[in-house]
Amino acid sequence: MAAGLRTVILLSFVLALGFLLIILSCALWSNWLPLIVALTFVLAPLPNALFAHCGSDEFSSNYEGSGPVDLGRFITSMIVVTGFALPIVLAHSDVIDPKACAMSIAGGGLVYGTILAYSAAFKQEDSDYD
Amino acid sequence: MSLPRSNYDPRRVCLNPFPEFTLGKHRRTIGVYLAGALFALANWTFLDAAILSAHAHSPWGQPDTPPPVHVTFVDWIPGICSLLGYLVINMIDKDRIRGEEGFGDSRAVWRARLFLFIGFALMAGGLAGSVTVLVLKYVLNEYPEQFTYYGYANVSQSVALMLSAIVLWIAQNTSNEYEYNLTL
Repeated sequence: MAAGLRTVILLSFVLALGFLLIILSCALWSNWLPLIVALTFVLAPLPNALFAHCGSDEFSSNYEGSGPVDLGRFITSMIVVTGFALPIVLAHSDVIDPKACAMSIAGGGLVYGTILAYSAAFKQEDSDYD
Repeated sequence: MSLPRSNYDPRRVCLNPFPEFTLGKHRRTIGVYLAGALFALANWTFLDAAILSAHAHSPWGQPDTPPPVHVTFVDWIPGICSLLGYLVINMIDKDRIRGEEGFGDSRAVWRARLFLFIGFALMAGGLAGSVTVLVLKYVLNEYPEQFTYYGYANVSQSVALMLSAIVLWIAQNTSNEYEYNLTL
């Protein structure tokens, strides 16, 4: 349990760092458009989580999901690419500073990585008890 | 009469050669993720051009002249056609097109093939339209490279949408590891 506690604390620090980077990228240039990136990355795992239980019940031990699971994966990957592409597009058309673009991409990557790592660690712990 | 047994109906002229890939366990997942990423990338490529055009600067070296060309509705049409084709292709039940017996009547199969054709025609039309826009609107008028980029972004949007459709099609038609182990 100590390892799990340490993981949670580490992940929360990384999450805070990611949000710090995103908010700094907004506040330093007083242009609050990069905040959308944070929203995007927070929303990214949502379709997967919603559609994960649609595919199969517990009796058909079919890993390969059907239509709804695929749709959830499709939307998730779309949102993730949107999160990376949005700051690049904004920086390309001089709406935000290139440095703000880099900072918000790094922050968004940290936030999404935290979410992924947290769910992976959680899943592993869950299967240990099975 | 020692003809080899064919596993298809020899009366059918037009066969859909569904590629039967037997890939790893996670290939379907990876394919779907890849298709989604390509889809988003395609649309962001074009939106980049549109946003860039909305914030357009004057050509390099001549700060007084206004930008000569903007992204207008004409540029959006090929992308919309490709998107419609993408939706149509992916909304068809793939088993219908295969035309297996006992899967509804033959008219349903015929209709599914017609809709598939319409979908592919829309996607190909989108690609052709984007090339048309690139040539007629940007290349022939000899705008500087800064503005020709809008046309190239349009073409790459259509190409990436087609790639995404292909990846998704292949990913959804892979037979999974479980079946493979059963037949082994």
